[in-house]
Amino acid sequence: MSRTRSNEEWLNDLKSKGAAQESAIADLRGILLRAVLYLFNRNLGDLGGLARDDALKLAEDCAQEALIAVLNHLSDFRGDSKFTTWAYKFAVNIGLTAARHERWKDVSLDQLSIAEDDGISEWLMQDKSPSLGPDQSALQNEVRRAIREVIERDLTDKQRRVLLLMVFNEVPMDEVVQQLDTNRNAIYKLLHDARRKLKSGLQSRGFEVGETLALFSSKG
Amino acid sequence: MNRERFDAWLRNIYETQDVEISCTECFDLISQFVELETSGQDASAELSQVKQHLYQCRACHDEYEMLRDLARFENEGGPPLLDDL
Repeated sequence: MSRTRSNEEWLNDLKSKGAAQESAIADLRGILLRAVLYLFNRNLGDLGGLARDDALKLAEDCAQEALIAVLNHLSDFRGDSKFTTWAYKFAVNIGLTAARHERWKDVSLDQLSIAEDDGISEWLMQDKSPSLGPDQSALQNEVRRAIREVIERDLTDKQRRVLLLMVFNEVPMDEVVQQLDTNRNAIYKLLHDARRKLKSGLQSRGFEVGETLALFSSKG
Repeated sequence: MNRERFDAWLRNIYETQDVEISCTECFDLISQFVELETSGQDASAELSQVKQHLYQCRACHDEYEMLRDLARFENEGGPPLLDDL
C-alpha cells in the first residue's frame, strides 16, 4: 500500500527527481487506477459490452491519462483541498467520459429518432394523465405549446439541436461534444442560452414559476 | 418525456440564472467544493455558483458525485481495491 503524504509532500516528491519522484508517481498512478476502477464499478451499465480484461485495460489507460493530466497541471493546485481529492477529479472526468463513450460509441446522433418537426410535439405530449381535469389539462397544453413555440421560433439551429439531443434524447454531453467536434463549455453555453430563452418565453406569456410548476407537479 | 423528467426540466428552466459558470470553471472549483462538504462545512454558501452549475449540468453533477465518494474514502485508506469490487 502506498504511503500517506501531506499536500506538501506530494508536491515536493512529484516535482523532485530520482527515487522520491518515481515513488510518488507510482503511488499516484495506483490511487488514480483505484479511483477509475471504483467509478467503472459504479457505472457498469455503460461498460456492459466490455469483457473484464478489456475493462481493466481501459481503466489502466484512463489512469495513465489522468496521471499525465495531474502532472501537467501541478502548478494549478491551490491547496484548497487534499491533493488526492484534486487529483481524483482528473481521473473521474477521464474515466466517466470513457465509460459513457463505451455505451454511445456506435450511436450516430444523426440517426436518433427525434425529428424536429413532429418530434417536439410528440415528446412534449407523451404524458397524458387520465386523472387531469379539463382546465388543468388545457393549461398544461398551453404551457407545452409555449415551450414548443420558443424552441421552434426563438432558438438558433445549434441551440435547438443540442437541446433536442441532450434534453429529449438524453445523449451525454461528452458524446455531443465529440460528435459535434466542439467542447463542453460551448455546449453548456448553448443550453444555458436556450434555457434563458425558454424562461423568458414562458414568463412573457404569463407562465410564472410557482403556478406553472404546481400545474405539472400536482397529482391531479 | 415522462412527467418526472418534464417536471425536472421545467424546474431547470425556471432556475436558470442570467450568469452561470462554465464547465471549466466548475472543474477548477469542484475539489474545493467537495472538500468543504466532506469536512462538514456549507459548500453551497461559499461556492453558490458551483452548486448552481451542478444543478444544471448532468455531466458535471455525475463527476461531482463520484468525486465526493472518493473524497470520503480518503478517510478509510482510499478507494476500494480491485479485489474488493
